[in-house]
Amino acid sequence: MRLPAFEYLEPRDRQEALDYLARYSENASILAGGSDLLVRMKQRLVRTSYVISLKHLKDLDGIRPDEDGRLCLGSNTPLVSIIRSPLLQGAYRGLTDAIRRIGAPPIQHYRGTIGGNLCLETRCLYYNQSAFWRSGRPRCQKDGGEICYAEENSDRCRSANVSDGACALMALDAETVLESREGERSLPIEEFFTGKGESPFARSPDELVTTIRLPAPETAFGSSFRKLTYRSAIDFALVSASAGVKVEAGRIARARIAVGGAGAAPLLLREASEKLLGKSPEDGDAVAETAAQAGRHAAAFMVDNLGATLEYRQKMAAVLVRKAVQEALARAENGNARGRRER
Amino acid sequence: MKKIPVSMTVNDDEVDIYVPAHWTLLDVLREELELTGAKEGCGEGVCGSCTVLMDGHPVRSCLTLAAEARGARVLTVEGLGGPGMELDPLQQAFIEKGAVQCGFCTPGMLMTAKALLDSKPEATEQEVREAISGNICRCTGYAKIVEAILDASHKSET
Repeated sequence: MRLPAFEYLEPRDRQEALDYLARYSENASILAGGSDLLVRMKQRLVRTSYVISLKHLKDLDGIRPDEDGRLCLGSNTPLVSIIRSPLLQGAYRGLTDAIRRIGAPPIQHYRGTIGGNLCLETRCLYYNQSAFWRSGRPRCQKDGGEICYAEENSDRCRSANVSDGACALMALDAETVLESREGERSLPIEEFFTGKGESPFARSPDELVTTIRLPAPETAFGSSFRKLTYRSAIDFALVSASAGVKVEAGRIARARIAVGGAGAAPLLLREASEKLLGKSPEDGDAVAETAAQAGRHAAAFMVDNLGATLEYRQKMAAVLVRKAVQEALARAENGNARGRRER
Repeated sequence: MKKIPVSMTVNDDEVDIYVPAHWTLLDVLREELELTGAKEGCGEGVCGSCTVLMDGHPVRSCLTLAAEARGARVLTVEGLGGPGMELDPLQQAFIEKGAVQCGFCTPGMLMTAKALLDSKPEATEQEVREAISGNICRCTGYAKIVEAILDASHKSET
């Protein structure tokens, strides 16, 4: 399968990259690894005149703490560096677990990047198909048409965000930094996603995601990630869940639960998360209740657009949330025990 | 069509060519260098039959632009054996264990296995299975392939 023709641009530094983005705007695509972009170009889902490679932007590759102790992940950091980084163990296990589940570890992880995964386009069974497959019927909303094949009479695109990294970053309360020639802005991860299937990201065409910032690591904080797939590798999530919890004085002090594969953005389930607050980490009923509510809310967003029946994915959302919360709590308590021992 | 210069090392040979900017590494290997060992299966990064090593790491050559491979050291299955017709221990093990049936996935399997054994000469079965999780074989059921890789790994120790 041949790629369509385009002009390849290889900026030497960040400024040059931002200049290209300002000049070519929506006619340009950013190549941060290519395992999603090139496939979509081959399938003629993306028509782009310029491909801007980030290969020489070495300052976007790396993981460093900033002066406030927050961890800054350069957007062009390969997935393999995320998994292997000693800085991302402990509190951030949810992220490394998620990254480990992307593609097939030995292959995609050398080319795939964290920024690329964050910007993984939303997917749909009726959209992510070859040009030939799609040529048999009118274009869907994501493809520039007016029909939705996933949900009858839908007035908008109902594709799903299935990025494992995005789901985990949502639970970790990450922040994204976007830069353009005009300047820099940072967005909480919730605001990085629009929730619209047609245009899922708040990134404007002249902006580059440069950094993903994680809150400073804390003791007694645990995170986790769960993903449902048919295959054990090279498979997108049918549904996924991630949790980040903080335990203080034997009580759950903070909780963030995210579900992927449900809407056009990873869903942040605030109400369900709040059910955990003030509860003991051992309170199985609270976890079950939280999971049930998270499952109900996530199910309300789901449509039949991925490779398993809707009912199965809806049921599994609650199961994955329960497992993710249990694991995050166990990890938070282990972190707590370790913290006590160190003191 | 605009062509771009690509210089890289392929199986110890210096290569300097001009190719269209939208060509992938796989296009260059097969069409320009006539190295048809790496196969195009799905063309979408799923099957792994186009796997080659770039600076020692396995990559999907169908999803790697030739331009991105500039300056890299590329190893394909043609460069796996020694000088002459000598086979790599992995290739020998694949033959001995009957790990080849139709053969379409074999070059990709060999390259992925090569990368694994280069970094972990004493790989466990679990590690082998994880390593080849991105390579699809529709004939063997993987058992013979895993056996062959483990066999090659044990031989390299002695």
